[in-house]
Amino acid sequence: MNISMNELKANIIESLRLQDITPEKIDDDAPLFGTGLGLDSIDALELVVMLERDYGIVIKDIAEGRPAFQSVRTLADFIAVKRPK
Amino acid sequence: MAVHFPVITGMGIISAAGFGMEENWRAIAAGRSGLKHLTLFQSPRYGQIPVGEIRQDLAGLGAPSRGSRSDKLGWLAAREAVASAKINFQDCGDRSGVLLGTSVGGSFDSEQFLETLIKRGKMRARPTRFHECSSTVDLIADEFGLFGPSTAVATACSSSALAIAMAAEMIMSGEADVMLAGGADSLSRMTWGGFHSLLLVDSEGCRPFDMNRAGMSLGEGAAILILESEEFARKRGAKILARLAGWGASCDAHHATAPHPQGTGAAAAMQAALRRAALEPSAIDYINAHGTGTRDNDLAEANALKTIFKNRVPPFSSTKGFFGHALGASGAIEAVVCVEALRRQELPPNPGFEKIDPAIGLEPITTLRPAPLAHVMSNSFGFGGNNAVLIFSKPETPARTRAPHPVEVAVDGLGVIGPGAVAVQEIRPPLPPGKVSVHSCGVLSDAALLNPNQRRRLSRLQQMALITARRSHASDPSQRVAVAIGTGLGCLEDAGAFIENLISKDEREPMPARFPNSVHNAAAAQVAIDLGARGMNSAPTAAEITFEIALWQGICQLATDEADRALVGAADELDKYLLGIGQRWGAWNEKIKPGEGAVVASLSRAEKTVASLARVTAVKLGRYRRPFDAEREADWIASAVDLKDVGVILSGAKGFPIMDALYEAVASALSSRAGRKLEHQTYKQHCGEFHSASAFGFSVAMGLARQKKCGVLLYTLAPRGGKAVCCIQP
Repeated sequence: MNISMNELKANIIESLRLQDITPEKIDDDAPLFGTGLGLDSIDALELVVMLERDYGIVIKDIAEGRPAFQSVRTLADFIAVKRPK
Repeated sequence: MAVHFPVITGMGIISAAGFGMEENWRAIAAGRSGLKHLTLFQSPRYGQIPVGEIRQDLAGLGAPSRGSRSDKLGWLAAREAVASAKINFQDCGDRSGVLLGTSVGGSFDSEQFLETLIKRGKMRARPTRFHECSSTVDLIADEFGLFGPSTAVATACSSSALAIAMAAEMIMSGEADVMLAGGADSLSRMTWGGFHSLLLVDSEGCRPFDMNRAGMSLGEGAAILILESEEFARKRGAKILARLAGWGASCDAHHATAPHPQGTGAAAAMQAALRRAALEPSAIDYINAHGTGTRDNDLAEANALKTIFKNRVPPFSSTKGFFGHALGASGAIEAVVCVEALRRQELPPNPGFEKIDPAIGLEPITTLRPAPLAHVMSNSFGFGGNNAVLIFSKPETPARTRAPHPVEVAVDGLGVIGPGAVAVQEIRPPLPPGKVSVHSCGVLSDAALLNPNQRRRLSRLQQMALITARRSHASDPSQRVAVAIGTGLGCLEDAGAFIENLISKDEREPMPARFPNSVHNAAAAQVAIDLGARGMNSAPTAAEITFEIALWQGICQLATDEADRALVGAADELDKYLLGIGQRWGAWNEKIKPGEGAVVASLSRAEKTVASLARVTAVKLGRYRRPFDAEREADWIASAVDLKDVGVILSGAKGFPIMDALYEAVASALSSRAGRKLEHQTYKQHCGEFHSASAFGFSVAMGLARQKKCGVLLYTLAPRGGKAVCCIQP
């Protein structure tokens, strides 16, 4: 199942309370952590909550989420695979 | 001049592993963990996960009916400690105090207020009576009749180690002969839900330093040490259990929750403790590690151990597998474990460890074994990168602890956010409709100093502290900077929102970004991160005298030459629950309005200051006796301050007749001692009533001292017993 990149970006912005950023400003392939959006470990945990709330995906170990949190695209792919059908 | 070396003469402990020192050591010797599943409160999501809960009925153990769960735990540990030290506090006059660390204080009980409000729509303010982190301090001081310097300190998981270090400082500087020092923390829905939301809890129980470790186990408990000056202990014929030979504190200044990966802050705290104890690393025979069992903490701590001890890391263990991680109490629990290990000459094991982690490359002690021990070290590291390390030595070892040197202290900068105008704030439902007139700081226009993405996770209190800290001084990277920014109630809005969310959504969809702001050191740590301040980092919390404690602590850092500059201050924020509860209790009226704000002052040694705004010539802390005796209070103040230089008394009077009469009586008693009328002024009419208000008073005192070219006495009384006086000279 495909998910809307724009909707995902909007969810990220809302979950992380990002300021002065719109979905259009986030590149699909730009890194989310470190450089790029410059997110940190607490943001990763907010993304974990978002994945459960908005997509029904439960992550119990942050290491499971790490490959998915590379970019918006990897996150979208992860959701497409893991989302309960 | 005589040096007052701190020694330990008594101990008490209550934990999931047992009640009392004997029972706890039996559990340690048998390798018996106290971790079981949770029964204290309902946890829909995590109820079956192991936790260090104390299942005994506290009343059955003799705890008083008054007080929060943390208060009762602290009281039980204090009773055992006092009995084992065989001390009578009536022989101590005003020279015995209590210094405790806690992370959540009375949160467990106050959560019932929110639960009733959310689930039943009823406003029952009673469970919040003992919410404050300083509540246990007041309860214990009243119980045992302690009238010396007393406070709580809340730096998350290093709280009680820092409290013990502060107590030692009180003894070394001659402020007290005896201190009850330690910590108490109960489990709470907030920390339980919080650490789960950070994915930091090992669902199989903690396995510190093990290859497969997957997080911590939470716990609760209390431990108290009786600290005395050596000459006082010897004079009364007390049995000395150990010396507190050294202590050190530092801040990672790295991140709100994650430790610095190389453990640089942890290593700096160990180094500071060794320096204070005048010991080489090779003298340490055992280390009680912080060892929470999280992947990052244990790796960072191992790196720090290798930095300090190179390839000769002494035997070490984390004892958290016995108790769980009792957060603010864990430093004190591990301190009594260290003293008992010295006394018995035995090394405690590290439950949960099975397989060495190649990334760590170190193996902890796995079974109890005898060993000759002279000096042992205890590590405690908290959220915000707040680190504290203690070193205990056998009583027979020579005392070598470095003593502080009195310093002349100058204030060379000040940042203030006070209320702009009196605003009327509407209390939002579900609270009963009503309006409270408040002294609000309004919209933080200076928040423009912070970029929006930096600001997004910061509470109002953190923003106020950050802005005032930045304004207080010109940053100089070559300086060693210590930070002591206290708070009476912490980031109320974030803590409230976090718990409200847990309760209303049954632990689903938690708010991991809000949880780190629930610790009282959230502001002090954020300031350290912002300014790169790697010295001691503290968040004292002592109701109305919170600021004065921070001031005292900052001066100590200059006196021990652990810092070139100390940023001292206090900050508090208003929230809807505080307004509503205060209204329910009739705390607010036309004269007494709730307030908020932040003040940070920059302190340096006077001889090194180019542009001094004022000097702080005295700070004295204590507790007043009941019934209140104004003459006795005036004597106490006159013993600390030379009245001939003083022109104004600036008091915390606020329009509450009983309290104001006490201030007025002391002011007139001081006038008669000075032989002339001293002007009595007040400041709360400008800033409103809040725990950090005396910090605002300090800024007013500086202004008055400069304007009138005379000394100003800042005198503060806390309704629950604390008192403080400081003298500000132009």
